[in-house]
Amino acid sequence: MAQSQAVQQRPKEYGRSATTTGRSPNPTDWLIGWKPLFWGCALIMAANIFLWFWNYEFAFTAGLNSASPEFSLYYRTLFWGELLSLGVFTGIWYGWLIRTGREMVGQQCARAEEVRRIAILWSIIGATSLSIYIEASFWPNWDGSWHQTMVRDTALTPTHIPMFYFFFPLSVILALGAFIYGRFRIPELYSRDKGFPWSFFLLISAAVFECMQVAFNEWGHSLWISEEFFAAPFHWPFVTYGWLASGMFSVWGETILRLFEIEKAEEVATTDTHFRPHAVAD
Amino acid sequence: MAAGTTTIAEAAERQRRLELKELLQKQYKWIDRKWDLVFWVTAIFVVAGAADITKQLFAGDWDFWTDWKDPQWWPVITAFATIIIPSALQYIQWAAWRFPTGATYTSVCFFMAAWVGRYFQWHIAENYPMNFVWPISTVCAGIILDWTLMKTKSFILTSLIGAHLWALLVWAYNYVPLAPFLQPAHFMDHVLTVADVQGIVYIRSQTPEYLRLIERGALRSFLGETQYVSLVFGGTVAFVGYWIGQFIGRYLAVWPIRRYLKTL
Repeated sequence: MAQSQAVQQRPKEYGRSATTTGRSPNPTDWLIGWKPLFWGCALIMAANIFLWFWNYEFAFTAGLNSASPEFSLYYRTLFWGELLSLGVFTGIWYGWLIRTGREMVGQQCARAEEVRRIAILWSIIGATSLSIYIEASFWPNWDGSWHQTMVRDTALTPTHIPMFYFFFPLSVILALGAFIYGRFRIPELYSRDKGFPWSFFLLISAAVFECMQVAFNEWGHSLWISEEFFAAPFHWPFVTYGWLASGMFSVWGETILRLFEIEKAEEVATTDTHFRPHAVAD
Repeated sequence: MAAGTTTIAEAAERQRRLELKELLQKQYKWIDRKWDLVFWVTAIFVVAGAADITKQLFAGDWDFWTDWKDPQWWPVITAFATIIIPSALQYIQWAAWRFPTGATYTSVCFFMAAWVGRYFQWHIAENYPMNFVWPISTVCAGIILDWTLMKTKSFILTSLIGAHLWALLVWAYNYVPLAPFLQPAHFMDHVLTVADVQGIVYIRSQTPEYLRLIERGALRSFLGETQYVSLVFGGTVAFVGYWIGQFIGRYLAVWPIRRYLKTL
């Protein structure tokens, strides 16, 4: 509750004119609207660096035989640790988004505040973009080199554990979280009465489809092909993830259009009358 | 029309230019360069990821190893796999800003992602030498594809002309670093290329030698023409790839803007 009140009160600060102490804070200042971008990307990179060094240290010493006690110690523990940490993070983040979001439903949103929220949405989308790169390029490179040279005996290979069971679900969590954020906080674009946006439908379905493809992939590898040929038709459905992620450009596009509408409303408000309420009226 | 007189069309064009100039210099309260910076920087990752995964899963093996860069399959499959995402970005950037830069932007993103992956994952983590696993570059082909769009202002002409140029340039640009690995070497009483020797010396236990799709079918009967036949066919499949990319750009990136599935 206290957090949501803070969110509601902040727009008044943006509306103040410059004082003798300096200019008033702007919702698009790096440390206001864009702060989640830096924190989000820093956390994702920290997780990625940790997982890379973990694999560098243990892949060849503990990751070759899934029946060995070393594998259980270093890799099954990592696998469950990843799922657990993602589950806890999702529960806390989604819980906060929905709980505070419900309190905002029906409340009027100041223009400056809406701009700040769009910047935060872009920050979440930016973090999603980084996660997509890591899962679609960074780890598949190691997965390719690993499977072209090692014979696997499990679906939980050292390269799969960070890629399939951390960054794949993380992208789903971030994309869905971005939508939940927009649903409650940017009602002009994503409110319930407008329906489900195609942009997020494509972005979320890309990430969900990729997780389903992991299931097909592992089932297929256990059945008729190991990994002799990386560009096998059997792997092709994975590319749809990168293609459907184009929905991200739709999110950028529709929020940019909304920003211009907000600017237009602000321009009209300041030129028409000095007494116009500081709320989006269009 | 006599000199000095102004037609209605010229006046309208001048008015339009003035309006655009005014729009260019318009000061907004909240829209500033930070939005541009955040967009162009954060988009690098999704574009690089999409381009690299498309290349890896359609043509990865030909890009992973020097000995797979053969005259028959490599020019065909690589041209198809690498043009898809540049084409999508070309549409997006042209539709949004009339920037003929989408293919170049994608190629640069893809180039960086491919090198990061190849260096850290193949070289550092798996100990393959970089001169065995270096990735290709499509930057030159991207520039020319964008130049084709800029000059023709037509996606149809760009697909017809640009896609063939793409296939040719992806091969030609990367033939320069590949050429040293195609020199003959005497190895265990056989004459092989240096790339072949690399493929034998560096063990790939999951990728047996017989899987390499070279020296098959009528390759030898075509003698030296194989390369050129492959390049022309590569241009043809790149044309198909270009329109797959256009579909992605048009219907998965631009069309969904402000469209909703249904009211829930």
